[in-house]
Amino acid sequence: MFNRVVVTGYGAITPLGLNVEDTWQRLVAGVSGVDYISLFDATDFNVKIAAQVKNFNPLDYLDPTTARYTDRFTQFSVAASLQAIEDAKLKIDDTNRYDAGILIGSGVGGLSSLSRQLEVLNTRGPVRVSPYIVPMMIADNAPSQVSIKTGIRGPNFSLVSSCSTGTDTLGIAYKMIKYGEIKLMIAGGADAAVTPIGIAGFSQAGALSRSTDPEKASRPFDAKRDGFVIGEGAAVLVVESLDYARSRGADILAEIVGYGATSDAYHITQPLESGEGAVKAIEFALADVNSDKVDYINAHGTSTPLNDISETRAIKKVFGNKAYEIPISSIKSMVGHMLGAAGALEAIVCCKVINDSIIPPTINLENFDPECDLDYVPNVARASDVRIAVSNSFGFGGHNSVLVIRRYSEC
Amino acid sequence: MDVFDQVKKAICKVQPGVDESKIVLSALLDDDLEVDSLGMVELALALEDAFGFYLPDEELEGITTVGDIVSVINSKLKT
Repeated sequence: MFNRVVVTGYGAITPLGLNVEDTWQRLVAGVSGVDYISLFDATDFNVKIAAQVKNFNPLDYLDPTTARYTDRFTQFSVAASLQAIEDAKLKIDDTNRYDAGILIGSGVGGLSSLSRQLEVLNTRGPVRVSPYIVPMMIADNAPSQVSIKTGIRGPNFSLVSSCSTGTDTLGIAYKMIKYGEIKLMIAGGADAAVTPIGIAGFSQAGALSRSTDPEKASRPFDAKRDGFVIGEGAAVLVVESLDYARSRGADILAEIVGYGATSDAYHITQPLESGEGAVKAIEFALADVNSDKVDYINAHGTSTPLNDISETRAIKKVFGNKAYEIPISSIKSMVGHMLGAAGALEAIVCCKVINDSIIPPTINLENFDPECDLDYVPNVARASDVRIAVSNSFGFGGHNSVLVIRRYSEC
Repeated sequence: MDVFDQVKKAICKVQPGVDESKIVLSALLDDDLEVDSLGMVELALALEDAFGFYLPDEELEGITTVGDIVSVINSKLKT
């Protein structure tokens, strides 16, 4: 008998707020978190906009020395993890240190720290490079700092699957708990790629919107979409076996009931046009769930011309005519694409949708694209009784990852 | 600023969380000031910036206290 796996807490640092509740209120209100880049001087860049985290002070979560030697993505991770642990009323002590693990992924790791030290290397030479650069840039510095900060001594590691990272960390955490390898996982994703090399790189790959109107730039499924808007932040969930949650009297927020992951085996950045890999991932995720019962899809919905068409095709292939009846929305229209954090924040949003019975909209959906003809909950949030939510994430490299989240009920 | 003050400033720079009142000549870098092996390298970089000379690893071997650093710097300044 496998374990049931439940969500008992979450935390987030996003372009719309420094916690889940503020972020959620603004998502439901349809507020855009996109603005002109202020983290560096983007004058010479084709892309001048991003969804940046504002007013974040790492000293709210870390001592000054640790803050100095951690990259922004790690700082976001620690903040979101501590919020999630508090939300879950989880106490780590000698009775449960080894029962809990941490899996926090990052799409690109410590880009800004690496960039700064490359500058030192090139201008002042190798013996001037900070000894902290390796821990600062590696993705697993995020879970390792969370372990140091909390005293959690189970496995701590990272995984990288570009824009699917946040969904895959939750999927793997779900499987570890389901199959009894561990009782509880702190899982999620983080990224802080609004840096010169991050913006230049994604821009040169043709992935980013060149819009100069920040609030209108991210427009998933709209005919005038022209690329995604890069976002940043972290989202982390406390996921545990139902038995463990009950034993410690935790409030249960939702249940994870499926995870599917596939590869396109096609291209390093483009999705497979037919959406076949995505179809399989959704089907695998729904293996134990009746697909007729799905009543919300949180789309990957990046706002790139290619993704939004292939994702729409995939949804139609899986759900047939019912695809037209399922409300679908993309919060990337508001928080941009938070890369490794995206899937984890979208999982939190699915939990909130299920518990609050309201679906945040896809904003900026104004021009009809005949190839994107489903119900994307345009522009205004919608009250809806959602029991089963599907969250899609797809990534550079052909990753297709899907999570299924259900309203918790005892039987 | 004398050598001790500059060393103190460098320690504060690389360990911004440090309790400044603990930075005295007899203070142990690791136990009292929480400067670990990576912190020692970072501190050497800060001292090199402050004093304008290179501190090779071998000159820092055996250093355990703030006073040891001040001695190394003083002897470098004399040569």
